[in-house]
Amino acid sequence: MTSIARKLSLDEWDARYEQLTRAGLREPAYGGPLRRHVLLEGDLRLRQLRFDNSAAALRLWNFLLTENQRLHAARAQGEKIIGTMKDLGTVPVMAYVLPGLRAFYPDGAWWTPCLMECSDGLLQQAEQLGIDASFCPVRAMLPAFQNGEHFPRPDALICSTGAVCDDFSAIAQRLEKMGFPIVWWEMPRRRPPDPDEPACALPGELCAPQVQVDCVRTELERVGQVLSGLAGQPLDTGTLARGIRKANEVRRLLAHLRRVVYTSPGAPLPALELLVAEMLAIHFCSDQEETVGVLTDLLAEAEARLQRKQYVVDEAAVRVFWVNPVADLRAMNLLEDWGGRVCGSDYMFTHALDLIPEDLPPLEALARTALADPMVGSTRERACRIVTDCRAGRAEAVVISRIPGASHCAREGALIRETVRADLGIPTIELEVPPICDAMLPTLASRLQALMETVRARR
Amino acid sequence: MEVFYTSPWVPPEWIKAHGLEPRGVWLARDFACEPLPLAAGVCAFANAVVRLAERQAGSAVIFTSHCDQLRRGFDTVAGAAAPRVFLFNLPVTWQTPVAERIFADELRRLGRFLVGLGGHAPAPGDVAELMTEYSQARQCLLDAVAWCPAREYAEAVARFHLDGSVNLPPERGCPQPQRYGQQHGDDILPRAATSVAAAPGDSRAPGPNAIPLALVGGPLPESQMPLLDAIEKGGGRVVLNATEAGERSLWPASLLVQLQDNAFDLLARGYLANCVDVFQRPNTRLYDWLRGRLAARQVRGIVLWHYVGCDLWRAEAQPMREAFGLPVLLLDADETAPNRNTGRLEAFLESLR
Repeated sequence: MTSIARKLSLDEWDARYEQLTRAGLREPAYGGPLRRHVLLEGDLRLRQLRFDNSAAALRLWNFLLTENQRLHAARAQGEKIIGTMKDLGTVPVMAYVLPGLRAFYPDGAWWTPCLMECSDGLLQQAEQLGIDASFCPVRAMLPAFQNGEHFPRPDALICSTGAVCDDFSAIAQRLEKMGFPIVWWEMPRRRPPDPDEPACALPGELCAPQVQVDCVRTELERVGQVLSGLAGQPLDTGTLARGIRKANEVRRLLAHLRRVVYTSPGAPLPALELLVAEMLAIHFCSDQEETVGVLTDLLAEAEARLQRKQYVVDEAAVRVFWVNPVADLRAMNLLEDWGGRVCGSDYMFTHALDLIPEDLPPLEALARTALADPMVGSTRERACRIVTDCRAGRAEAVVISRIPGASHCAREGALIRETVRADLGIPTIELEVPPICDAMLPTLASRLQALMETVRARR
Repeated sequence: MEVFYTSPWVPPEWIKAHGLEPRGVWLARDFACEPLPLAAGVCAFANAVVRLAERQAGSAVIFTSHCDQLRRGFDTVAGAAAPRVFLFNLPVTWQTPVAERIFADELRRLGRFLVGLGGHAPAPGDVAELMTEYSQARQCLLDAVAWCPAREYAEAVARFHLDGSVNLPPERGCPQPQRYGQQHGDDILPRAATSVAAAPGDSRAPGPNAIPLALVGGPLPESQMPLLDAIEKGGGRVVLNATEAGERSLWPASLLVQLQDNAFDLLARGYLANCVDVFQRPNTRLYDWLRGRLAARQVRGIVLWHYVGCDLWRAEAQPMREAFGLPVLLLDADETAPNRNTGRLEAFLESLR
């Protein structure tokens, strides 16, 4: 089944799928040709995307695009569905270790308008609910709850609040008023410890006052009691430690995959597939075991290509560090089309990529990990990690992708750029990617191409 | 030293007990008078706080963490102005012991910051005494709700936040002038602080047929207070000022009997227990607070005031319509269309006649 690494359009994938099938491709239950997601689910955006041609990438895409069906199937089998919101990576670790619970992020609905090219009408419906385009595209979550046409109605909703973005907080509050009760838990804004104040290390080379970790740990304990009640089984220390080890299995795989892809001379896998793979870390796309399989396949493919020096993006491409997830997946393709490649990323959940400490009491470890969220600390701290990761990936430029309407984007870009310029002296650019970026192509092209030219001139 | 604070849920009593001068920003001189920012998505209020922190090199500024814009505004000044800016972590939840603990811890941390600025640790009894003083001032302002004209009331509450004093207009049988707390110096006098009450027969007085409205929403600094005049000019009357530093920020003096040894605990618990704001999760207390007052004052419409980019308030327009069964007019601070708000207000009031 080995073939030259390259990117394919959806049309080309039809033939590629037949080829793989004839060669004996074995797929999981959710497998099948990519085309069916367009025909059956209305994921029209796939027609505009270009995908990696490996069987591993096919598995990744099918895994991603069948999540709602798998959630409905789990519900039908009597499992309880937990909507975890905003914390991006913490509560699912607790939920997945309990039998009969399946956690997912309704926040993920923010990509539905992109995938369905707005044919879902979610953004328009959100507007009718009073949440207009001044809010970030995560507003698509609201009508998705209301119409029940996407994910099943969760048995419980658990949302972190406090130092989170205002868009999400406001939308989640609206959701609760629409009749979806929410268990809120407090995430304080992370601050540096004062002199002489008891402090502790967090993942990601961060530190925080012990008093803040204690508060988060107490909140997580409360969340654990809610989950225990739903599962009918206590979430004891041993059980939680097992959950952390399992989550770390995913995180180790992902760390390995990122290292292989981001530090290699050319890119053995495209930026789009890496973005999707990274997203698996936050809630395992509703299936923890399968996530391990998907990532193992991707890693094997990337390593094999690296050994063969086979790249989907060649070595001459400009090495770009990408900040924030894109509302339109196509943007990742466009970067590569215009001469760039991703060599590092901060998609707002770096705390879900770092290993959860296994040498601490489990709740303490989870609390420290949750508090390492790049979005709950200062932008300067986030920028410092970006600088470190830029060095690791030998980044030649930084792209900060603004999320339309997102409250954190108004100021963070300037601060990150300032730090990157001061510490690395590499060019940076800020651009906004709407859920469907087609109308913006000339603007995006001119800005990204100018960045590529600037970098090449500096070489 | 002056210590500016940006949320009414940061206790000025605590600042004062450390020997420093608490100054609520809403009526501070030259605050929020610059042109509104053009950078996409930047909240003009948060931007004004950043400018204040940059400009007032001899003062301290307390930001609060309750909204993204202020949190990140703090990030922009935290480098250069680090020794004199402070980010107060306001808990968003309020039903748990963790929220109480966070608030109390933050008060203690603020105390250490104030001492670092040259203040002193509160002497025994100081906090209780100041709490009593501020509670009486709040109560006096609450008592004036029934008779004080909207603009004068907004200014009086903002002035209380500025310097702890109570300056109500001489009106309708209330012992006047009422003053509590220390008077301000000239250096912090706002530009147009001496608004005179509307006398009977004054053309500015709202007529008996004026439509009772509630003004609900975010901060209303002095530069935006002409909105209150515009409402009256259009035939409305604000009978409930529930903006950030309006009546909503005044909690009743119900804890005084318990004061003495445990003043700090009561201060922390009192503020958290009486905080009524949109950022709280859930924000049911805001709705409960509004519900009784809207009915009692026979409010016929709500003007929901917010800054452009403020998601927290903007998202509440529709829930408020549904919760209270009242028409809601969403108004924002938009200097690019200064007449737009007037036109919309007039149309809103016309539709309520």
